[in-house]
Amino acid sequence: MEKYTLVITEKPDAAKRIALALDVDGKPTKASSNGVPYYQAYRNGAIVVVPALGHLYTITSMQKGRGYPVFNYQWVPRYQAERKASRIRVWLKVIAQLAKDAGGFVDACDFDIEGSIIGYTILKYACNGKEAEAKRMKYSTLTKEDLQESYSNLQSRLDFTLVEAGLARHEIDWLYGINLSRALTQAAQNYSGKYVTLSTGRVQGPTLKFLDAREKTINCFVPTPYWTITAKICIIDTVLEVEYEKTLENKAQATAIKDACKTKEGQIETLDVKKFLHNPPEPFDLGAVQNEAYRIFKYTPIQTSKILQHLYLDALISYPRTSSQKLPPTIGYRNILKKLGNAPVYAKHTAELLAKTSLKPNEGKKYDPAHPAIYPTGNLPEKPLGIAERNIFDLIVKRFLAVFGEPAMRQSINVVLSINSNRFHFDATRTLTEGWIRFYKPYSQLKDSTLPTLTEGQKVNIEAVFLSDHFSKPPARYNPSSLLSKMEQEEIGTKATRAGIIQTLQDRKYLQGTDRFFVSDLGFEVTEVLLKYCPTIVSPELTRKLEEEMNQIQQGTQTKQTTIQSTIETLALVTSGLKEKEAAVGAELSRSLQKTRVNESTVGLCPKCHEGKLVILRSKKSGKRFVGCTNFFEGKCNTSFPLPQTGTVKPLATACKSCGSPTVAVYLRRRRPWRLCLNSDCPLKGKMVNNAL
Amino acid sequence: MHCKICCRDSEENSFCQLHSRAFKNVQEKFRVWEAASNASWMEYLAEIQKNSLTGVWAKEVAKYLIEEEQQK
Repeated sequence: MEKYTLVITEKPDAAKRIALALDVDGKPTKASSNGVPYYQAYRNGAIVVVPALGHLYTITSMQKGRGYPVFNYQWVPRYQAERKASRIRVWLKVIAQLAKDAGGFVDACDFDIEGSIIGYTILKYACNGKEAEAKRMKYSTLTKEDLQESYSNLQSRLDFTLVEAGLARHEIDWLYGINLSRALTQAAQNYSGKYVTLSTGRVQGPTLKFLDAREKTINCFVPTPYWTITAKICIIDTVLEVEYEKTLENKAQATAIKDACKTKEGQIETLDVKKFLHNPPEPFDLGAVQNEAYRIFKYTPIQTSKILQHLYLDALISYPRTSSQKLPPTIGYRNILKKLGNAPVYAKHTAELLAKTSLKPNEGKKYDPAHPAIYPTGNLPEKPLGIAERNIFDLIVKRFLAVFGEPAMRQSINVVLSINSNRFHFDATRTLTEGWIRFYKPYSQLKDSTLPTLTEGQKVNIEAVFLSDHFSKPPARYNPSSLLSKMEQEEIGTKATRAGIIQTLQDRKYLQGTDRFFVSDLGFEVTEVLLKYCPTIVSPELTRKLEEEMNQIQQGTQTKQTTIQSTIETLALVTSGLKEKEAAVGAELSRSLQKTRVNESTVGLCPKCHEGKLVILRSKKSGKRFVGCTNFFEGKCNTSFPLPQTGTVKPLATACKSCGSPTVAVYLRRRRPWRLCLNSDCPLKGKMVNNAL
Repeated sequence: MHCKICCRDSEENSFCQLHSRAFKNVQEKFRVWEAASNASWMEYLAEIQKNSLTGVWAKEVAKYLIEEEQQK
């Protein structure tokens, strides 16, 4: 058989797209070995395109048992470290088989840290040390043109500094994660005898610390009163509300001012009108699109990441895990606009932009050497997209159009008026020329106010003056978007890992809530323990310093070994400290774990005694599960409710819509979860109502 | 010694670290309330206890202080 070039891709979808693009006839042959798909194509010689399944190799400890500290590790195939990864064994066997007959190797995984490690580890371990001779494909979109161009201009070698930085990141994160998580888990287990996975890490710790600090501020918050005075004025036929020039912290003073404004007429003192230009938005980087998707559609960052990945694999958008706000001309602005114009919904706006003599995007400052900002490739969906994918695609297209728009001309008006010598004011802004705003509708958040014609000295009628009570507000809770921004601002984690870290904090039950985060007792305790026994671990400075070092590795000014060695030295000190205090750490964590378990099984307040709590219990005699009142143990209340004996039961925060009794969610295998009202006399019992969750 | 309000270990003022911080806040903000509306200590505690913007721990402290006053 003729020697072929083995092209390794990150995912099966990418392999298909690359094979389709590279084959001269656009008709690669799909083959399969033991269920592993690969493609045979031809372009200046035979090509075999084989996909990975994301990471096929991972890090594992060389020490046996679950003890810590662990500083000896190795890269192994994932099936050796993870029980659920048995499929990887066959996958690697097929890749190794294909590598034997290959005459050349090309790493076509995504051009980022993760992609570089996936390609590198496969070439090194599965292809028997071919990492030094392999070439690299670099592309930012999975379009035919980009892929063919990239294959014609292969980079002569892998980007080894990027690989080194990636390996360092994985190894350091693994060292932090395994040592600290084992220390916490073992401390709790040795104290309580119960096993619960507790985890923390290099990024998780500082992130939880931000949340902890905010939660404590909110929980300790005491509001203070203040007053505002509003006057309702009438100018021609328009009624406007104007505010007294400042807020007042004394009720008597506020009432006196309000009383002094009892008059029928006021006068416009000054009118400050300013015109200003509002520049177009900057192109999307990953963080910006995640924030915008949360603002507009309420998609969490991790949901947005998944949608972006689908759109990228469908060659509809460019590579999404970028921190760039630059759109270089090489991406071909006009070609993209022409292709987008084939969709009737974008035709009008693309035609407007194409009519311009030159196109210049309003770029931001952030630059990513690997990829440009996120942009639509110009391809239109071949099959109908789901709602979420359609929304994000539309957002990205409209943002792309908007960045080429001219600045919007806006006008701000600041009016000061006098009512019996007391100054009131109001501000308004309106758009004079829409500019880029018309391309970004309906996503632009700029508001317009309508005002009648105003002049200085103009008399206005006072319809009413009223005093309003207010209280100062606590800081807002973090939501998925604001937490992501905070992590970005503090430079902790990377664009690709931040959303995952937030998810892990929720999975570990350190955080509750989906729209707004609440730190659980367990979250408080884990932060407390880390702050008390190893404060350096939760300091953003440490993780920021490590990020800097990893950037230096990527630039070739620092070596991986030096960074790993200093990490091991830090961790050796931290883990020995934790080991010494294991009993105290275990006691503190166990107390919170116990409280978390009780909270998890609490259904609500007892409807009979109104004192005890209804909790999910198990009968010691029969082993059966039921809901009972905590006052039963004190002989005060014998309220109990039966529960289904199979499946999982979890308390629900919402009461029954019909009778107001507590409800639980019942999860049975292969069935949709459903809501169960505990009240056996509930009017809805037995009726055909939708109780699905 | 346990905190007067929860089961955590007490540190300052016989409160745990968390309730102690809330207690300090409750004390400090009284001055603002007093200047704003001439509220008495008990009126202030009652107001902040029912205010939806008051934090959970501050509310627990206010409730405890009211009960303590009433027992005197």
